[in-house]
Amino acid sequence: MNPVKEQQSIPTGKVERAARFAFTGAKLGVNYVKHYTRKLLDPDTPREALHEANAEDIYEVLSSLKGSALKVAQMLSLDRGLLPRAYAERFALSQYSAPPLSGPLVVNTFLKTLGKTPAQLFDRFNPHATHAASIGQVHEAWKNGRKLAVKIQYPGVAHSVKSDLRIVKPIAIRIVGLQEADMDQYFEEVETKLLEETNYRLELERSQELSRLCSQIPSLIFPTYYPEYSSDRIITMDWLEGLHLQDFLATQPTQDIRNQAGQALWNFYQFQIHHLRKVHADPHPGNFLFQPDGRVGIIDFGCVKEIPQDFYENYFALTRPELLRNEAHRRQIFRDLGILHPSDTEKEIQFFTELFQHLIDLTTLPFQQETFDFGDEGFFDRIYSYTDYVYSLPEVRHSKIVRGTRHSLYINRTYFGLYSILGDLKAQVKTSWRHIDELAAYLPR
Amino acid sequence: MTPLEIIQAYERYWLENGHRPPSVYAFARQIEIPESEFYAHYSSFSAIEKDFWKQIFDETIQQLQQDATYQGYTAREKLLAFYYLWIQKLREHRSYILLQKNRLFLPSPQGFQLETFRHAFLDYVEKLVKLGIENKEIKSRKFLSDQYKYGFWAQLLFVLKYWIYDESKQFELTDAAIEKAVNLSFDLVGSHTLDRIVDFGRFLLMKKA
Repeated sequence: MNPVKEQQSIPTGKVERAARFAFTGAKLGVNYVKHYTRKLLDPDTPREALHEANAEDIYEVLSSLKGSALKVAQMLSLDRGLLPRAYAERFALSQYSAPPLSGPLVVNTFLKTLGKTPAQLFDRFNPHATHAASIGQVHEAWKNGRKLAVKIQYPGVAHSVKSDLRIVKPIAIRIVGLQEADMDQYFEEVETKLLEETNYRLELERSQELSRLCSQIPSLIFPTYYPEYSSDRIITMDWLEGLHLQDFLATQPTQDIRNQAGQALWNFYQFQIHHLRKVHADPHPGNFLFQPDGRVGIIDFGCVKEIPQDFYENYFALTRPELLRNEAHRRQIFRDLGILHPSDTEKEIQFFTELFQHLIDLTTLPFQQETFDFGDEGFFDRIYSYTDYVYSLPEVRHSKIVRGTRHSLYINRTYFGLYSILGDLKAQVKTSWRHIDELAAYLPR
Repeated sequence: MTPLEIIQAYERYWLENGHRPPSVYAFARQIEIPESEFYAHYSSFSAIEKDFWKQIFDETIQQLQQDATYQGYTAREKLLAFYYLWIQKLREHRSYILLQKNRLFLPSPQGFQLETFRHAFLDYVEKLVKLGIENKEIKSRKFLSDQYKYGFWAQLLFVLKYWIYDESKQFELTDAAIEKAVNLSFDLVGSHTLDRIVDFGRFLLMKKA
């Protein structure tokens, strides 16, 4: 891994951040104008070109900002199925690296929250960060012959989350093009989750709890956490070796090894969702460390989504075709999930039911099969081309009604993240409901 | 009583009464020393107030000098480390400093409280600037390099003010402010930006022919 380059300046005050966002807003406006003029001259100008231009500008701005803005970028990047592809590709870049804290600030954070300097606490401490997380950075340390990873948070992060989101909001609404009032529940969900992520004590608790509960699942590695070296702004855990997904794939692992890693990830997620009802909802590639033997190390439980019972039942009813055959029942489920809106006319109900049913059939395919080959590119292409098709429909593009609920946000994100990692792994995985039910055997007694 | 103990007693007096003692006589009586002992160390209350700041500065520098990591720091990092430790030391006296905040930044008839401290800080930061110029963190500029230290003093006043009004948990926003202010100042004295600003300023001041 490349050492992090110390960035010279971080956009600081709210005003400066706001200015940057305003600048993006203006640039987006310009892009739209350009697009429509071009369209006047040449009606065939593809919308993709506009998306591409917008994505680039937004990415440039977001990636020079720290904290929650970066998180929002990461989040949008994972909703590949929901966002046009051009956005997704640019945003994927933001999943790595952000600028670091100075050495003295690191020492100060230790002194303030643990009462000792890193030199006093550890046998050895590397003052240079090895890599950056979006709201912090990671240092190497050694204690009693063990190598540790020490994650340190930027000061004042929680403060900037709220003000950042207020600034990001109009832009996000513009990208997605939906009614502002309806988006509020999503922003509230994102805000709660982001604020939780700045709470390192909560993260430590959850990391310890979920690692313990998932420890029986084969082929997974969890670091040990050290509460005695952790505080509001520091988390210390064992250093895990391993490669990030792209580097791992570059070593050309065999099909068996990729299957093993893929199966481990599938089991990890389904076990949490179906047997624990709370899930590590941040499946971006930086949180997984792949071992040469196909085992997977899992770090960063900053973002955990707890799944309410009624949402769970409705959401997963979608993966059980037998439950959707009864039309009245299906409508009820769609209504409860917010896919159908109370204001919909009968014609709209039929239109959207058909659209979503097809999307569900496509995306829940793995659940219907004993084993599923995520290397099947046709599977992803069908999903992408269908979502592109859906977005091209005037009824959808011109509809300003938000469809979905706040809970589906992080669960969708988790599944899209999981699918896209399994897709990159080209893994063949046992995916059936029977297999998912059997995972209950891994519950600790 | 040592001078340090007199400072502590004076601070305690403020904390309990919220104002200056009516006279040296009354103060000496209250802390049970003869008036002459007071005058042996300090000529006035203003002298104590000045020494309060100088003491904290001296302690900070002393502690930094003993730290092995500090010795290996660049000028930028040294200044950061100074601020973090200094603010940490100020915390122990926050209540007293809040009582002083309206008398702190402007010279008053009772003297400028930060004056002795200011001289010491300017000496310290002058050495830092030299170090920075040696290891190429700071660009040496004719006439201007000698003025950098005053800029850093202004920065210190900014940090102090920010901290006084900071209400965040563990003053973490002050940490962020220090980090950003120091990085910005070092970027300015290190890059061409400052030259451009000076050039522009000179242009604006130039008399039109």
